[in-house]
Amino acid sequence: MSLTGVIAVFSAIVTTYFVIWNVWQMAMGAAGMRFVWRYQRRRNVRSRALVIRLASPPLVSVVVPARNESLTIVESIRALLALEYEPREIVVVNDGSSDDTLSVLQRTFRLVPTPLAFDQPLKTAAVRGVYRSIVEPDLVVIDKVSAGSKADASNAGINAASGVLVLIMDADTMLEPDALSRGVLPFLEDQNTVAAGGYVGIANGSRVEGNRVFDAGMPRSWLARFQIVEYMRSFLLFRLACASQNAVTIVSGAFGLFRRDAVVEVGGFSHNAIGEDMDLTIRLQRHFRAQRRPVRIAFVPVPVCWTQAPEDLPSLRAQRCRWRRGLLQTLWRYRGVLGHPRYGAVGMVVLPMTAVFEGVGPLIEVAGYVVTTVAALIGILDWSHYRILLAVSVLFGASTTLLAVLLSDLTSRRYLRGGDLALLCAAAVLENVGYRQLNSWWGCVGTIQALTGKSGWGPMKRRAF
Amino acid sequence: MNGALLNIDRVALWALWAGLALAAAMAVIVIIVRLGLIAHQRFVRRLTRRYGPLIDRALRGDAGAIDSLVRSPSHYRLELARRLIFPLVEDRRPDRIAATRDIIRAMSLVPLADRWLRSRRWWRRVPALHAFGLLQFADRARQLVAALDDDNAEVRNAALDALADLHDPATLPAIVVRLHDTSLQRGRRAAALAAFGSQCEEFLLELSSVDPAQRVNYAKALTICGTVRSRSVLCEWTADAREAVRAAALEALARIGLDDRAAALAIAALDSSDVQERAMAAAALHGWTGGGDAPSHLARHLGDSWPVAVRAAHALRSIGPAGCAALRPYAARDDQAGVLARQMLWDAEAAV
Repeated sequence: MSLTGVIAVFSAIVTTYFVIWNVWQMAMGAAGMRFVWRYQRRRNVRSRALVIRLASPPLVSVVVPARNESLTIVESIRALLALEYEPREIVVVNDGSSDDTLSVLQRTFRLVPTPLAFDQPLKTAAVRGVYRSIVEPDLVVIDKVSAGSKADASNAGINAASGVLVLIMDADTMLEPDALSRGVLPFLEDQNTVAAGGYVGIANGSRVEGNRVFDAGMPRSWLARFQIVEYMRSFLLFRLACASQNAVTIVSGAFGLFRRDAVVEVGGFSHNAIGEDMDLTIRLQRHFRAQRRPVRIAFVPVPVCWTQAPEDLPSLRAQRCRWRRGLLQTLWRYRGVLGHPRYGAVGMVVLPMTAVFEGVGPLIEVAGYVVTTVAALIGILDWSHYRILLAVSVLFGASTTLLAVLLSDLTSRRYLRGGDLALLCAAAVLENVGYRQLNSWWGCVGTIQALTGKSGWGPMKRRAF
Repeated sequence: MNGALLNIDRVALWALWAGLALAAAMAVIVIIVRLGLIAHQRFVRRLTRRYGPLIDRALRGDAGAIDSLVRSPSHYRLELARRLIFPLVEDRRPDRIAATRDIIRAMSLVPLADRWLRSRRWWRRVPALHAFGLLQFADRARQLVAALDDDNAEVRNAALDALADLHDPATLPAIVVRLHDTSLQRGRRAAALAAFGSQCEEFLLELSSVDPAQRVNYAKALTICGTVRSRSVLCEWTADAREAVRAAALEALARIGLDDRAAALAIAALDSSDVQERAMAAAALHGWTGGGDAPSHLARHLGDSWPVAVRAAHALRSIGPAGCAALRPYAARDDQAGVLARQMLWDAEAAV
């Protein structure tokens, strides 16, 4: 076959992929829209009050794995202790910090060593000590040897948790005051609910006081702005669509509420999983569906918590490569679920689509850009057509992101200033020119790292609010 | 092959226009929705400024303020109704409910709610049910009970909420007989029982005598609303052939409290082969200082399965000096019983 023929065939593949991808995005948008519409009609003030009407709402253990967090940990815990949901305990797991995280906690909360006994159904690295606070009875601190993973620290926290439900979060996650009462509702409504995730917002550019986001605003950095619209797309298109089909495959590590017994039943977080949150979510789906037991993983489409997005390229690159490695590892681990009717929409739709669009997608995209550019350079493709193809890609990408912005407006009603809306719309268009290509490239780099067995987190710079 | 490329280019040109139209349409929709949100926010601010103080005065019985609300423009009515009704979710003072009900009646909003209750759209029926429940319209109890059999699950659950808010003892049988209805959310079923509290008890006991197959559910319900009146029945259920019933009965006894007979049964249940039953028996003995030598029996279970051991340990701590005395011999051990004993003794000392 001539070079022209090869390029034509490749163009056909890329075009088909592109069309299916856009149809998939729009279909997810429609499913997400329907989900939001139903959610808003179901969750009125009265139905949200269910928690306060119960004689004994479920105890939630908030597990906070902390490693070298001495600068922020006190403020994080104070914010957790001020949550609106009363029946909760805070389990901080000091995961072998080399800084003074533990001594800061000891000083601030007057911790004392205690012979706290707890069941240890999940294997973890050795626990060095257990502390309880004299001033805050709901606070427990577990000091353990680090096993080098958040999964191990989370498992230690789950072991020590006495709640029926455990909330796994990052030490730097900022929860909304009503996050727990919103998160608990799906468990009260449906006894088959084993986990609930929520919309994680990006706090960069927002007014933050006492570890709470008071006024959401757009950041100055375009990199952070692109991530805001990217999160909207990820949470409000993909996850809402999955939730509408009871096929959620990822409960974010920043905010994941789980039924403790279900997590223990599947063996807790996997120690060697790079994307431990996705790994656990799919394992829960697989475990219950394989046993033909009803299972539901819920999604709360309003911001339940906020996190900080990296604003420099090296940190973002490291994060994206790690996410990519985690995704590929999880897809490979659960390849038996792919296309298997027993696993319902998870096996038949969501995971296959994830494999195609997230797994192979970046490779096709980068190859598409390279081949099209080469074709234009050697004169097989006319430059005007080249520009048209790029413009089509940008316009469809922007349409999808604008749909996510619309869903964000309908669900969370944040970024309400006119200037913020203009910036969101601009970011929705501009992210397709450079940022998206960069992400696809990092996807390729992450794939190579996954194939060569690279591990580790890489650099991650954080800024104070 | 060139023809194929040409075709792809034609498709690309077509796609360009489609993409342009789609992006423009999305941008317009985003802007329209945003303008709608801003307009709504302004409307709400205006309404709050103008009617907020009037609502406060009307609730205090100011006839002039009520008259102003009655004469408010029709397009303000729904938002005003929300502002009047939604605070009742948390504020259940009878005088506040009565005052709000009178204002809603005066504003002629009851016929609208009735219309919504008959609407074919479930999202209209749900707020109408909530409104009637929160405002305690006793004369609508029949419609609320009928809504428990609605085709739509959202409406059925809203009806349960409404009946819990209505708090009319006449509707209690309708709620209790749906205790086993799994199409109703279990949290809402529990909340409805909790709303009536011990008023449910008599009916639960009556039903349980004619429907022993559902005894486990009745026992769980008695955990929420049972009193000492249920104790003898629950004691009988601790001899039921089903483990789940025995465990649920002991759990209910743990909530209600024991007498000598119940304590003896709980102590005997500590030797059951079922973990859940032993765990609930240990929980039931929480704070029991009567006869039967509960501390020594409980202490034997400090090395039992975790759910039993932890409850036994807490029960021992709650018993006081006798419980601590039973814990002390275990405190020097290296096993689970030892750690639990040390923790409980530490907790007891910290409490002092």
